[in-house]
Formats: sequence, structure tokens, C-alpha cells
Amino acid sequence: MNRRSPTLWRGIAALYVIFLLSPLVLVVLFAFTSRAQSAFPIEAFSLLWWGTMLSDPKFDPALGNSLVISGWVGLIATVVGTMAALGLTRLDARRARLVTAILCLPLMLPPLVLGVTLLTFYSWAHVPMGRQTVIMSQLLFTVPFVVLVVYARLRNFDFRVVESARDLGASPLRAFFTVTLPIIRSTVVGAALIAISLSVDDFIITYFTISGGFTLPTFVFSMIRTALTPEANAVGTLILTMTLGATFVALWLTRYRG
Amino acid sequence: MREHRTTALLLAPAMTIFAVLFVVPLAYFFVISFWRKVLFAMRPDFSFANYGKVFDQHWSTLLFTLGLALIVAALTTVFGFGYAYLVRFKAGRWGLPLLFVAMITLFGGYLMKIYSWMTILGIKGVLNSALLGLGIIDEPLSWLFYNPGAVVVTLINFLLPFTILPIYASMRGITDIELEAARDLGAGSWRSFSDIVVPRSQTGIMAGFTLAFLLAAGDYLTPQLVGGKVNMIGVQIVAQFGGIFDWPMGAAMSFVMLGSSFAVVFVAVSLIAQWRPR
Repeated sequence: MNRRSPTLWRGIAALYVIFLLSPLVLVVLFAFTSRAQSAFPIEAFSLLWWGTMLSDPKFDPALGNSLVISGWVGLIATVVGTMAALGLTRLDARRARLVTAILCLPLMLPPLVLGVTLLTFYSWAHVPMGRQTVIMSQLLFTVPFVVLVVYARLRNFDFRVVESARDLGASPLRAFFTVTLPIIRSTVVGAALIAISLSVDDFIITYFTISGGFTLPTFVFSMIRTALTPEANAVGTLILTMTLGATFVALWLTRYRG
Repeated sequence: MREHRTTALLLAPAMTIFAVLFVVPLAYFFVISFWRKVLFAMRPDFSFANYGKVFDQHWSTLLFTLGLALIVAALTTVFGFGYAYLVRFKAGRWGLPLLFVAMITLFGGYLMKIYSWMTILGIKGVLNSALLGLGIIDEPLSWLFYNPGAVVVTLINFLLPFTILPIYASMRGITDIELEAARDLGAGSWRSFSDIVVPRSQTGIMAGFTLAFLLAAGDYLTPQLVGGKVNMIGVQIVAQFGGIFDWPMGAAMSFVMLGSSFAVVFVAVSLIAQWRPR
């Protein structure tokens, strides 16, 4: 509509994008330099810090924990969230809105409060802390995202195809696996990737509920709270590749737009 | 009846997770906020002493936190509105890539963003080394880092997508036809902005502001890592679970933080609701 000053708008948009992306770009850039400081001028590009990372005895277990935890979180959150989204489509609009709002309540609390709340709860209920408590805790903020994404897709889903399958004698489960799931598959995969990316990225809740050992983000934290080492850039780049990569594929698959 | 049972079964796992890992822990946390710490154990009690102590010893930290969160949330909402406006009305075919940038930065990189700002603003950091190298400054600027300003910038950077996306979602509901009709009826660009665009984006503005405020007020890592001596209530809460080991006190501080945050959000959202078409 307004064509008066496209250059001005373009300039503002560019500033925004630089502000949003430059912190992430710089982490990746300095992961490939050789200096002991993330600073200019960049003298030489090298894989030095990647070697440091790979030979760090804490790296393998941290990567292993991150993969196991995010794998389980992705799987459980997707199954639970998709079931809930299917349940929501069977409610009337008002009730569906209410249930969605309730399920999203954990997203309203600062992660710090969730973390310390869960820590006290596990210690009170004598739940042994470790990977299992991290997985359980991360479900709190991943399930709502899966519900939102899958429910958004199911709302413009033509349920008549499912009814036809049922009329032809398919059991509800069979109708789901042969009709509904193939149609919404890309959305479900996308939702799983979003859950995985939130899980890989999570620092605060993991920090409070893991009790011992590291995941990739808590490993980075152990590096940066004392002195900055560019090894953190390498691990950070790995985390960013996993989370942003997964999100990118997810957005492309789900066509979810907020 | 069978139908209802299926619906309940489908919703049961999600509701169970919500009840067992959110409602129960939060209720227990509320109960222990009235307990006392005796040596390194918690003793059941019903005392408001912890709450008294929060207001007694931490009132300045609390006020500072709320003030800083208010500044952060207000700026993030305004900037987020600008970005959403750009995506919806000005960017044309660049709208989708811009939206992608916002969505991608929403889901990843919380710790890495804070870490990156440490390397950007630090005394030997990216910004100082670049400015020195370009000959713009002669010695590193020390005021970039370890102060409230650095905390504000870092928080805005991390929270911006949280305001962009809900505001954009509500702006998507505004049709070009409405705006053209307004123009045909003689409304200037400011008039249609203030009477159509802003009121129709209000739900998104409120949601974005609420999220940004709650997350800013409850953050502890940013002040700890880029704030230096900047003391926010979250840092104090973490201390109760780390070195000090006073969980009842930490619980009371958490609820005071949540309560006061919700109060500020309630007032702010009511104020935003005041913006109506003339």
C-alpha cells in the first residue's frame, strides 16, 4: 500500500535482522577462528576449538545426554500432544479454548520458577534425579507447543474422510493410523522437531533437575561462568545447528505461522 | 457416553502431566513458603516470616527488577510491534523470510544469545575490538558491559520474537479492504493506524507484553552473566537454592515475584486496553 519510502522500511528491516541474528552469527563465526578471544581482527580460520571440544572428556557424555533426553522428550511430547490435539477437536470451541489455555499455563511462568518448583517436588517425592527427571520436566513446556501446532492443523482437517473409513468398518485406531496420521504426518513431524529443539536448547530447567552430569547447554554454562573460552563457541554452534536446523525444517514442514 | 470417554482418554496424558508436574509441585512449593529453615532442613510451620523478610530485605531488589522488566517489556513490545507492522504491511514478498527470522530465533539459542552478548560487550570483546580496529575509539569502552543497560539490551534481543509473533498473529486479521475503506472515507494514515491497526492488534500487544514482562522479571542468567553487580530477584532466588540453602525463603521470594509481576501486568494490560478508536 504505502510506497512512499521503501528504502527507509528496508533499512529498518535490515537493522532488525542484524540485531536478531548477529549474536547467533558471531558464535558460529568465532567457532572457526584460532584466537583465544572472540574478538576482531580475525587472524586465521581454523578448527582448533572443535578439536579442543572433541578431546574434552566432558563433551561425549554431554552430547549423549542431550541426544537421549531430546529423543525421549520429542517422542513422548509428540504422542501426548497429538492425542490431546485430537481430543480438543472433539470438544466445542469454548471448552477447547479453555483446555488449551490450561495446558499452556506452564509457559507463563519464568523457567526459573518451574525449575526450582520441580527441584523441591522431586526431592519431596523422593524421585531420583537425573536424565529421567529432566525428560519429565521438559514435557511441561514442550507438550503445549505440540498441542498448539497439531491442533492448528486439525482445525482445518476434513473429518469426513475419517467418518468414511469408520463407516467402511475401520476401528478408530485403524482409522487414525491409515487415514488421519498420513494426512497430518508432516505437521506431526514438525511438532516433534519443535519439541526436540526446545529440549536441546533448554538450560534453566535442565540445570535444576539434572542433579549431576551435563547436557550441551549446561556444559557450555560450566565453561563460561568462570572464564570465556572459545570452546564455548564450538559447542554453541553445535547446539544452534541442532535447534535452529530442527526449527527450520519444522517450520517448512508444518507451514505453522504463529 | 462412549464418545465422551474417548475424548477424556485422549486428553488424559496431557492433563496428567499438567496436574502431576505443574499443579502438585506448585501447590507444595506454596505450602513450604510458610515453613521455616532450621539448620539445613525444612520444618513445617505456618508463618509469614519468610514473606516479611522478602519485603524487609529484598524490597529494593524487587522494585529494581520490576522497573527493569517494565522498561524491557515496554521497549520489546514497541519494537516487536514495529517488526510485525513491517512484516504485515510493508515488506511485501520479504514478509515471510522476516517472519521466519523471528520464529527461528524464538525456539533456539537462549543461553547462546546471552553468551554471545558477553563476548560482544566485554572489554576485550567483539564491539570494542572492532571499534579499536576501525580507529573510532582509542581505548576500550568499559561502560558497555556489567551494567543494567547490557541486561536490557540482552533481554530485548532474546524476548523480541515473543512480542513479534503474537502481535503479527493479530495483525493478520486486519484486511486490506478495511484499510482501503477507511482511506476512501477520508481517514489519513495516522487515523487508520490509530483507529484500526492498533486496536485490532491489541490482543497480540497484550499477550506479547505479558510474556516479555514475566520472562524478564523472572530471568536470573542475564543479570548474572552480563549484569555484573546488577541484582535482580531471580539471582536472589537461585542463591536460596544454591549456597544459602533456604528453600522456604526461595519459595516465598518466588511467589512475591510472581504476585507482583502479575499485578504490574494487570495494570499494564488495562492501560493498553484504554486505546480505543475515537
